[in-house]
Amino acid sequence: MDEEEHLHRFGTPLQPLDKDVVPAKKPVSIEDQVVKDENGKRRFHGAFTGGFSAGFWNTVGSLEGWTPQTFKSSRAEKATPRVQLKPEDFMDNEDLGEFGIAPQGIRTRDEFAKEDEQEQRSGQRRRKLMQPELGVGPIPGVPVLEQLLRPVRDKVAVRILKSMGWKPGQGVGPRQTRKEKRQATARNTREQYLLDHYGVEELPAQKETNGEDSNAEDEDDEDITFAPDDYEPIFYAPKENRFGMSYSGLSRDPVLSKSASSTAKPMQHINLFGQLEEQAKSKQLSIRGQAFGVGAFEEEDEDIYARDDMTRYDFSLADKKPKQKKQQHVQQRHVIDGFSEDKSGAALQKPYAIDLPRDFQARNWLQRRSRFAPMDKERAKKLETATEYKRSGLGRHDLNPDQRAQLLGEQKQEETPVEEQPKRNPFKDRGKSLLERINARTEGFTKAPSTSSSGAFKPFLADEAKQLRYEKFVDSKLTNDTEITELLASMQPVTLSLWDREMEKKEFIQAAKIYRPLVGLMNDRFISEGNVEAEKVKEQEKTPEERKIVMERTKSMWKPTSLLCKRYNIAEPFGGAMLEPEKELKTKPKISVFDYLETSINTKANFQTPSIIPKHIEKPKPKVVEPPALPAPSPPVANEPEKPPTKEEPSKFTFVPKTPLEQAVDESRDKPISEKVDLFKSIFDDSDEEETVEEPPENPAQDKLAALQEALGLPSASTSSAAAHNVLRNTSPPRGIFAALFKPTEEPAPKEPAPPKFAPIEGNKLKISYKSREERLRNDKELAMAEVPPEDIYGPKLPGAFPQKPAASEDRAEASIDAKLQQLWQQHAPKKRKAEKWVEKKSISSSEDSDNSSSDDSSFSDSSGGKAKKSKKSHKSSSSKKSKKSKLKSKKKSKKSDRSKHKSKKKKSKH
Amino acid sequence: MPEFENFNLKTTIDCKQGAVRAVRYNVDGTYCLSCGSDKKIKLWNPVSGILLKTYGGHADEVTDAAGSCDSSYIVSASLDKSIIYWDVSTGAPVRRLRSHAGGVRCVCFNEDSSVAISGGRDNAVMCWDIRTRRLDPVQVMKEARDCITTVATNENRIYAASLDGCVRTYDIRVGELTCDKVGEPITYLAQTRDEQCLVAGCQDSVVRLLDCETGGLLSEYKGHCGDDYHIECGILANDAHIVTGSSNGDAFVYDLLETKVLQRIRISDNGGVVHSLATHPKRQEMLFARRRDMYVFSTDLQIEEEQL
Repeated sequence: MDEEEHLHRFGTPLQPLDKDVVPAKKPVSIEDQVVKDENGKRRFHGAFTGGFSAGFWNTVGSLEGWTPQTFKSSRAEKATPRVQLKPEDFMDNEDLGEFGIAPQGIRTRDEFAKEDEQEQRSGQRRRKLMQPELGVGPIPGVPVLEQLLRPVRDKVAVRILKSMGWKPGQGVGPRQTRKEKRQATARNTREQYLLDHYGVEELPAQKETNGEDSNAEDEDDEDITFAPDDYEPIFYAPKENRFGMSYSGLSRDPVLSKSASSTAKPMQHINLFGQLEEQAKSKQLSIRGQAFGVGAFEEEDEDIYARDDMTRYDFSLADKKPKQKKQQHVQQRHVIDGFSEDKSGAALQKPYAIDLPRDFQARNWLQRRSRFAPMDKERAKKLETATEYKRSGLGRHDLNPDQRAQLLGEQKQEETPVEEQPKRNPFKDRGKSLLERINARTEGFTKAPSTSSSGAFKPFLADEAKQLRYEKFVDSKLTNDTEITELLASMQPVTLSLWDREMEKKEFIQAAKIYRPLVGLMNDRFISEGNVEAEKVKEQEKTPEERKIVMERTKSMWKPTSLLCKRYNIAEPFGGAMLEPEKELKTKPKISVFDYLETSINTKANFQTPSIIPKHIEKPKPKVVEPPALPAPSPPVANEPEKPPTKEEPSKFTFVPKTPLEQAVDESRDKPISEKVDLFKSIFDDSDEEETVEEPPENPAQDKLAALQEALGLPSASTSSAAAHNVLRNTSPPRGIFAALFKPTEEPAPKEPAPPKFAPIEGNKLKISYKSREERLRNDKELAMAEVPPEDIYGPKLPGAFPQKPAASEDRAEASIDAKLQQLWQQHAPKKRKAEKWVEKKSISSSEDSDNSSSDDSSFSDSSGGKAKKSKKSHKSSSSKKSKKSKLKSKKKSKKSDRSKHKSKKKKSKH
Repeated sequence: MPEFENFNLKTTIDCKQGAVRAVRYNVDGTYCLSCGSDKKIKLWNPVSGILLKTYGGHADEVTDAAGSCDSSYIVSASLDKSIIYWDVSTGAPVRRLRSHAGGVRCVCFNEDSSVAISGGRDNAVMCWDIRTRRLDPVQVMKEARDCITTVATNENRIYAASLDGCVRTYDIRVGELTCDKVGEPITYLAQTRDEQCLVAGCQDSVVRLLDCETGGLLSEYKGHCGDDYHIECGILANDAHIVTGSSNGDAFVYDLLETKVLQRIRISDNGGVVHSLATHPKRQEMLFARRRDMYVFSTDLQIEEEQL
């Protein structure tokens, strides 16, 4: 019990077998076995179970019973013509299956199908003779790759033929009448017969499709022409051997070689495409087939596929090579031994003389020009003169021995005593004398008189003037940099650029360092032996007492490695926390060549362009700083006095103490709109004056509009502050798609403000983006109407008549706001509609921002200065959008006055 | 201060290995080593003069050799820039250490023979870990400006004498390098038994006694002739006598304190430089090398006789 409780059981237990019953293991008899299809129904039935099932249990019905087809057609709904039914539509699923009567399998498309398959399908015969000979490749049968790779498209020739009206299966040639065709067919058959009997290879018997079907009847019908029959062109192989007909001997090539040469190359390419190249002419001993070894009484070789070739046979005991050599050595007439006559017979081409230009210099243009190639003479000459100083060195080797001797302070050796010396042992004597002389001169060498560098060393030999300057520079022995500059400046020619001057200075300093004669750079690195010897002698002269040893003790840090400490059984000094002084010691004693060259002019520092700002050339600096279209908006004449400040105006916002105007703005911030009139006046006064000619007084309108905006609760402050804080922000009016995108959300502008003559005040001009669409459209219209010469207008050409409709439809979204606006509008300004002009809040805020311009407040009334002011403001708020805006402005203004036109023209010329 | 007794020649051994470049005692003085110019090292019994073993494997003249504290290994320096660590009994080179850029001039073991210290013509002192199979030096000291002639060590210091006239003391415990400049090229350096002083044989035919602590020059011993030879010096086991070779076939024994010549040992009348010597670690016994021969000198005859 306990055990059973602990057991776990999975699955259902089998029925316990009765012990009495013996399990019947009788196999099912054949009669009882029934073939069933996938549906589980009996597949074969009938008398001999030979019939097979079809349909639904061999009926035309279905599970739901049989329903006759219905046909319905009315006048309104005509019955569609019935779809052509295919036999497959009446088949069962199993019929379409793998073992059915119409198996549906995946097979290659016709284009890719094998040719024979294609032939099978299309019933066309392919030209057999045109195919490459089978079995010539290394692998017997159809060339392997050809089977694998098939051209998808026809050959070009076939395509051309097809385009000319040829169809596969037809022959090529002019159309024939019946009679002609018959004759041709007869000829073809004859030829075919001949080919069959005497041809090289057995040919498949040509099927004659259309022979003499209807010969007698339409004999006289000359009008009907037929395409000529296709026939196999017969290729006659010239017989080159003396074997029996159509016998080819054993190939002498090894099995895998296609080359005609008897010696097979080891790694020869196997031509899988069959023998595309012409088979080389067979040698005398080309024997093919099982010619040898099968006697009358011998059995035929079982292995009929064996391919014997001649390489397996030895033809001589001796080596072949000498024989061949002998053959080669047959002397030919008129031919030098070892050469052979040219049999190609290529005619010598007649050389034609060409009239060359007199100054023509032959040059192979295909030849790659390299720096090693010889230069043309002129260039070489030029270069030579330019680099002469390089060749001649720096003047160090220009001295002859006499000069050198003079420099060293040697006395001139008399020639005569040398000759008088005994010549018995010249080498010894000379050696001795030389040694003596050298010893005598030791002092001279070590303490050579420091001659002036100018005499001996001429580093700037190429440039005499420069050399002169250098000498003067050396003589002056200046060390102060400014002094040197002054000195050089006094000598240098005026034509020399400042940069060159700087470079020359550096060069001179450098050269002076390097070419110090004997006191030069190397001098402090070496000690002449003479000095050492002298010291030694002195030391030796001292008495032993004098040269008493003085012990010196120096201590330094030294870090033993931890392993060494371990091995010595010593704790590491300072717990191993010592610095590693080794590296310092390592690097110090190393003397690098570059240490000597560190003063070279070729250091990086020297290659920095000296920062010289020429004074005499005034750089057009502002141009670089400013965007190119900046000066455009202001009229040139009027702005003359104020232009420079505009230019130098920084693009960034600078917070300057508030101007009176600003203060006024601040004060009026919390006031009701009606009280702000003064403020607006102060801001927009100037423009009023400027534009009084064309515009009716607009102040009340502005006032109203401002009030309106206030009433609408537009977030003027926030927008202005954003613009103020984010300098980089593109505040230019939205253009193109963006205009459509941003406009509706940002600015619910009044629908019917309709100022008939749009004359934007300056402040407004900057905020073109906030104008309602309608207004803009109107402006455009006005623009179009205005007689502006087309060259004065910038940007893409405007359509002549702008459709109004789309604007209205687009503004549908703002309909509600518009309605509200309208309402407000009617409340505030129902009478003065025409004269009104709306002002944006933004303009107010911009006036707040325009702190910089506040100093010029008084000049606002100035008719000429007003615009400049406004443009200035625009700079502040958005310097980036200037160019665009100016363009727009110019467009708008073009209608106004001659002056403005003139301005825009000027602007253009500036561009 | 014990009375000085004259040294007498005990044995003369013809080493038959070309010029003898160095002679050394083993740790307890029972055996001695001779380094030959024929690239071999020979192990001798200095008393009987019996050749015990020959160690061949160097590619150039052997310049120095030292036995380990258990006398089972030998380390040798050669001009082939390598150091070989030999097994004494089998005579096979256990390890060949190559890192010197020039010929190795001197080599020594530390007290427990776990580190071999070598100095060479490449001005470098190298410490080799013998315990492990490392083939590169544990530490390289390249402070010297000229060839290292002698390296010596005790419990916590490594001394290196160089031809640049300095004795450099590498204090492992303190982590300090002390450079005592003598001014004369030092050809050999020996430690006194009490490790208080160094005996430095100098190029100017003077042996100088240097104080380890202060770096002061305690005394000078003159009388021998050094010429330009690499002449070694030593201090006897009683720390009372200093011995040095000479270029004219003599050896000089000086009194440490009085700096006077106690004995001029005439090793050979035929001249020849007595360039190498070794003092017995315990007894009043010395080894000299001159030309092809090795000479054993001792004070007390009795002991030798007893041993025999």
